[in-house]
Amino acid sequence: MSLIRGFAVAITMAKPMNRTGTVQTCRHIKRWVSPTLRELAHRVQKQGPQKPEPRAGFIEWNYRSELFAFGKRLNEEFQLPLLQTAFTERTYAHQEQERQRKLGIAESDLHTADNVELAAKGAHIAKAYIEAYVQHSLPKVPAIGQKAITSYLLSTETLAHVSTHLGTKDLIFASEYPPSNETLANTLNAVIGALADSSGVERAFLFVRDFICTQLNQKDLLDIWTPEQPLQLLGEVCAQRKLGDPEPRLLGDCGKNTVLSAFHVGIYSNRQLLGKGFGEDVKTATETAAIDALQTLFDLHDNRRPFDFGIQLETKHVRLEA
Amino acid sequence: MSNSHLFLKSGFPRAPLQNGLGRYVCQLQRITLKFCKNNGSSRGMRDFIENHLVDFAKENPGIVVYVKPRRHRTPVLVAEYLNGQREWLNCRNNSQSEISKWIDLLKTQNGSSSSLRLRKMWHTDVPSIQGPWTPFLLRSPEAQNQTYPSREISTPLDVPQSATEKLIELFKQQKLEAAGEGGVDGVLEQKRAE
Repeated sequence: MSLIRGFAVAITMAKPMNRTGTVQTCRHIKRWVSPTLRELAHRVQKQGPQKPEPRAGFIEWNYRSELFAFGKRLNEEFQLPLLQTAFTERTYAHQEQERQRKLGIAESDLHTADNVELAAKGAHIAKAYIEAYVQHSLPKVPAIGQKAITSYLLSTETLAHVSTHLGTKDLIFASEYPPSNETLANTLNAVIGALADSSGVERAFLFVRDFICTQLNQKDLLDIWTPEQPLQLLGEVCAQRKLGDPEPRLLGDCGKNTVLSAFHVGIYSNRQLLGKGFGEDVKTATETAAIDALQTLFDLHDNRRPFDFGIQLETKHVRLEA
Repeated sequence: MSNSHLFLKSGFPRAPLQNGLGRYVCQLQRITLKFCKNNGSSRGMRDFIENHLVDFAKENPGIVVYVKPRRHRTPVLVAEYLNGQREWLNCRNNSQSEISKWIDLLKTQNGSSSSLRLRKMWHTDVPSIQGPWTPFLLRSPEAQNQTYPSREISTPLDVPQSATEKLIELFKQQKLEAAGEGGVDGVLEQKRAE
C-alpha cells in the first residue's frame, strides 16, 4: 500500500514537469456548488414571492394573432380594432398618454381609445338580456327574487370568473398585472359591447346567454336568494293566488327539552299541504316549512326542470330602452 | 395509485365555465412548438411543421400557434389552457404521427390532465336528492297513533333471557314431562285392570 502511495506522490510531483499546467486533468468534488446554491436559495427567500410575469412579455407573443384567436375561439366575428379598444382600460390609456407626453409627441395624436363607452354599452345589453332571461325561465318568482338572481349573475365575481375563463387575462391592457376582478368584469362588458358593434345586438344576446346565463346551471337558487321573512311573504303570495291563509301545524316532534330536539312542521292552506320543514325549535321549523312552501310555489326546488339554455328570446322581449 | 401520486393535486372531472352547455369553447388557447433545425431528435417535429402545421392552424383558428427554433435542444410542446394551466411535453425522437397524436390530446383536454389525480370518475353538485335525514323520515304508520309513554315500545327489541327465567322454564318442562309419564302409566294400569 505504501508503495502505491509513494508511486502516486511521485506522479503528482512529476505532473508540472509533463504538462503545461493550464489544463487540469484530475476531477475534483465541486465544493463551490453547494454553497452557491445555498446562497441563491437564501437570496430568493429574502426577496419573497415573485409577482407573476405577464404573458405578453414573452418572446413568443403576437397580440394580433391572440386577438384574432380570441374571437374565433368563441365563434364570434369581431372587428379587431374594436376588440383591442375593449381590452384597453382607461387607467392604462392615461398612462400611455403620460408616457407619450414625456417623450414629446404632439398633443393631436395623443388620444388612445379606452373601453369605458363599450363597457357601458355591454353592461346595458347584458343587464337587459339577463333580466329578460330570468323573467322567462323563472316566471313564478316575484320581482325581488328575480332581481337578486339577476344581480348575482351581474356581480363582479361572476363576471370576472367568466372573463378569466374566456382568456381575457393576458389580453387586457391594464396598469396592474394580474388584472383585478373589477377590471376583468369591466372588460367582459366591453367585449359584449364590441360584439354588439361588430356583429349586431342579436349575437351579443346569444353571447350573454351562452356564457353568463349558463352560470345558473346546477346552482342552488336558495343560496342566491332566500326570502327574509318567509311566513309573511307566504301569506302575501297565498292571498294573491287565493289559496287561503297558510296555517302551520305540528306534524311531529322528537326529543323535546333535550339538546337534540327536532320539530316537524307542515304548512297547510285550505287543508292542502304546501310545504314541510324541520328545525330545532318550532319557530325555525315553521320558517323552514314556509321557505319550502315558497320554493314549491315559485318553482325553485332542486328537482325543478333544468334551465333551457338553448332558447332564443325575441328581441322585442328584451327591454333595451329605459 | 402509486406512492408518487400521493401528493399529486386531486380533483373531480369538471367542465370549466359550464363548457358545452351554451357553446363549446376549445380550452387550448395557445401552443408553442420548440425544435432544433438540424438535430436528429427534432426530425419528427420538423416533419410535422413542414407537412401538417399549416392545416392544423387553419382547422383551429382559436388556437394561437408559436414556432420557436432553438439550436441543439430537445423538441418540446408547450400548451397553455384557458384556465391558466401550462403543460410542457418532451417530444425527443418522436415521429411525426406521434406528435400529431400528442397535439390532438392537448387540443381535446381542458387542462393539464397528467397533473390531476381523479378522485372519482364522476361529479355532482347535488349529492342527495332526498335531502337530509330526519327522525321523521320513513316512519311506520303505526307510530302515528301511538300514545307515549308506552311500555311496549319502550322495551328493547332483544332482551336476553335471564338465568332465573331459564331455570323456571326448565322446571316447567320437567314438571310437564313428569306429568306426561304419570299420565301414560295411569292409562296402562287402567287397561290392565279391565
